[in-house]
Amino acid sequence: MKKIYSIGLLALLAASCKPTIEPEKPQKGEGTDFTRYVAVGNSLTAGFSDGALYRTGQMNSYPSMLAGQFKMVGGGDFKQPLVPGEYGFPGPKFVLAIHKGLCDTAALLGPVPFTGALDTAGTSQNIYAVEGPFNNMGIPGIRAVDYLIPGYGMVNPFARRMFVSPAGSRPLDEMLILNPTFFSLWIGGNDVLGYATAGGEGGTLPTQKISDVNLFNAAYDSVLTRLKSRGAQGVLLNIPDVTAIPFFTTVPANGLVLDKNNANLLNNAYNSLTHIRFDVGNNYFVIQDATAPAGMRQIKQGEYILLSTPQDSLKCAGWGTRKPIPASYVLTADEVAKIKAATTAFNSIIQIMAKRENLPMVDVNAYLKTIQSGIMYSGVGYNATFVSGGAFSLDGMHLTPRGYALVANKIIEAINNHYGATIPKVDVNKYNGVLFP
Amino acid sequence: MKKQVLLIGSLLLTSAAAFGAAFQLNLQGVRQLAMGGTGTAVPWDAATIFYNPGGLSALKNIQAYGNVQFLVPKSRYIESPTGTYIAESKDRTYTPFNLYVGGPLAYKSKFSLGVGVYTPFGTGIKWDDNWRGRYVIQDIQLQTIFIQPTLSYKINDIVSVGAGFVIGTGSLDLQKAVPLQNQNGEDGTAKLEGNALGFGYNVGVHLRANQYLQFGISYRSSVNMKVKRGYANFSVPSSLSSSFPYTAFKADLALPQVVSVGIGVRPTQRLTLQLDANYVGWSSYDSLVFDYENNTSALSDTRSPRRYKNTVILRLGGSYMINDKFTAMLGCAYDPTPVKDGYLSPDLPDNNHIMATGGLTFRPIKRLTIMGVLEYVFTPSRTGELAADNFGGKYQTKIINPGLGLTYDF
Repeated sequence: MKKIYSIGLLALLAASCKPTIEPEKPQKGEGTDFTRYVAVGNSLTAGFSDGALYRTGQMNSYPSMLAGQFKMVGGGDFKQPLVPGEYGFPGPKFVLAIHKGLCDTAALLGPVPFTGALDTAGTSQNIYAVEGPFNNMGIPGIRAVDYLIPGYGMVNPFARRMFVSPAGSRPLDEMLILNPTFFSLWIGGNDVLGYATAGGEGGTLPTQKISDVNLFNAAYDSVLTRLKSRGAQGVLLNIPDVTAIPFFTTVPANGLVLDKNNANLLNNAYNSLTHIRFDVGNNYFVIQDATAPAGMRQIKQGEYILLSTPQDSLKCAGWGTRKPIPASYVLTADEVAKIKAATTAFNSIIQIMAKRENLPMVDVNAYLKTIQSGIMYSGVGYNATFVSGGAFSLDGMHLTPRGYALVANKIIEAINNHYGATIPKVDVNKYNGVLFP
Repeated sequence: MKKQVLLIGSLLLTSAAAFGAAFQLNLQGVRQLAMGGTGTAVPWDAATIFYNPGGLSALKNIQAYGNVQFLVPKSRYIESPTGTYIAESKDRTYTPFNLYVGGPLAYKSKFSLGVGVYTPFGTGIKWDDNWRGRYVIQDIQLQTIFIQPTLSYKINDIVSVGAGFVIGTGSLDLQKAVPLQNQNGEDGTAKLEGNALGFGYNVGVHLRANQYLQFGISYRSSVNMKVKRGYANFSVPSSLSSSFPYTAFKADLALPQVVSVGIGVRPTQRLTLQLDANYVGWSSYDSLVFDYENNTSALSDTRSPRRYKNTVILRLGGSYMINDKFTAMLGCAYDPTPVKDGYLSPDLPDNNHIMATGGLTFRPIKRLTIMGVLEYVFTPSRTGELAADNFGGKYQTKIINPGLGLTYDF
């Protein structure tokens, strides 16, 4: 009898000693309906990462993360045009490895193309009939000005595989198939990025030009008006200043380190060109510039050498030293100015539209600048350093799953503020950053 | 007899004991704990070596004292303001203990000598290795054992003074995830272990105004616990292992000074009431710094700001002598947290502590006393963040703390 009492007592004690707090239920806010969420955007929306589209990258796209959170406030299923495997489409993704390039004296840790099994065969086939329609309408490579072009699916392999009618429809029509009740719109990046990654002037393809600002305005207006026309609510994202991303900032302009002997040799070689001079220590690389004497000069601070510059050419073919780095791998000050001006112009259009339509806007451009100077999130530090920064993937342009999760949380913040919702943020630490060997 | 036991049982149930705010334990005596942690004014037993060295002179003969607590803290983290995520700390029992021996040098001597070995500070929490805050903390244990030789002198029938020298030993074990993932997405880990040493003192004055009234005042100095050579062991992806060598580290943890004043009233032969206040100089704990011997481009020294604020603890307790063999005790205390907003960390998700305590002593023979205590600590839930790590949420902690002790008079 006494024993039973004591056991009962102990049980009571144990129960009274247990914490009891429970998380509060999220609220969807005023006027929002997350039943059919459609994400409209480019490669960043598609979950493109490490230079390719691959399955786990897509599964960790920010729209997919958002859809997971929206489910807590009545959101429906979220379908993505997943590729079958991990190899990468259209080419292999980058992975980190310790490798020794042709001209390296020692093996170094860096991105190399994935060499595993090719498991994305048939990815270019259209999958709409079997798997569509899709909630994630992120189309790598698409520009804002492309949304009004009929038959766009025939010129973009990513669009071709997921559009209901690649040969006839406009991308804008494809966005509306699901009749979204909520949308996110993150377009416009490629209207300036194509120019930047081509090294500015000199690109021959239409996608390598900065889009005309009036065309941009018209296209953006059409897309937004149509998305909103049936009462859907949504969120807009502006475009980042691409010159802040590792693709442009990783190779330092003055990254040419010389000893006295090599500096002398180069000075002798450039004897006739007085504007090119070298010293012991850090020097500015030599670049091609049609406007300079002899078509070459040294790069300046505020100009960029692209991450796509072949490393072997830099290291042992004399690029940047004996030979100028070709203009297609360099952004000069004039080109950078054009990129910044276009980014500002496009962003002011997005801001005006957000105000006009009374929609929240995520200032990705400002957020990227805070990442550049370094942020902490749930105990993890992030910055815009290539590989070690954690937010940017191995292509230096697209994000890691953690980077996408950071963006997802900025979007949730904007939705919560604007609509009075209390959607919980994504657990960034649940996702991967850069994976090391 | 049986009835009395049941009564005490129900008192224990509704009351509860206290585990101090932040990592001060306040568990240095069974009777004292059972009376809300009071004990500065009334030298009940050899535990006064800790509570007020001046009270040691009041012991009529040499006493050996030992006790152990079985502290079971439980914490829960939930995501805030809304969400679904819940994490619970792993169950782990901590066993702070106290040993004291002390008494007059000779019968009716004005000098008394004693030594105490006790555990004044400590903390520990273990979260799941894969929990959301793993990059802040996975597992931490901080233990201290103080050794305090003490001398007390009885100036006259009213005033006695005492002083003890404190040799503080301790250990720190800490594990957290490192945000460097291998090809399988598994995190790296950092494990830090070190032994600490520090010195301080404990002085006190005891006043026995008359048979009804006693006063006490004591001062325990800050003790700067120095880890002179701890070891850090990192497990990271192999391509980065050269950047994270096995390395020694140094760290300092300045434990706070504590000023205590107390009053003890004995309105009747059987009843004693006590009131204590402690001023705790927590502002000594400004930052937790790890200074690694081997710094690399990836491994730099770390400085985590803590910025604790000073606090005042209030304690109230009573003791009622039921008969020659049994005495019952009850108490309560309010121990405000030294942790400011913006510094709320999952390694010690602290808040104000409200404590209820109760206990019973049993004296089967004249020289021996068996003591039991139960403390229940309630901390209101607290929402906040560790701003430096940008990690926030809502926490709740409950602690149950039973203890047992013995005294033997020679």
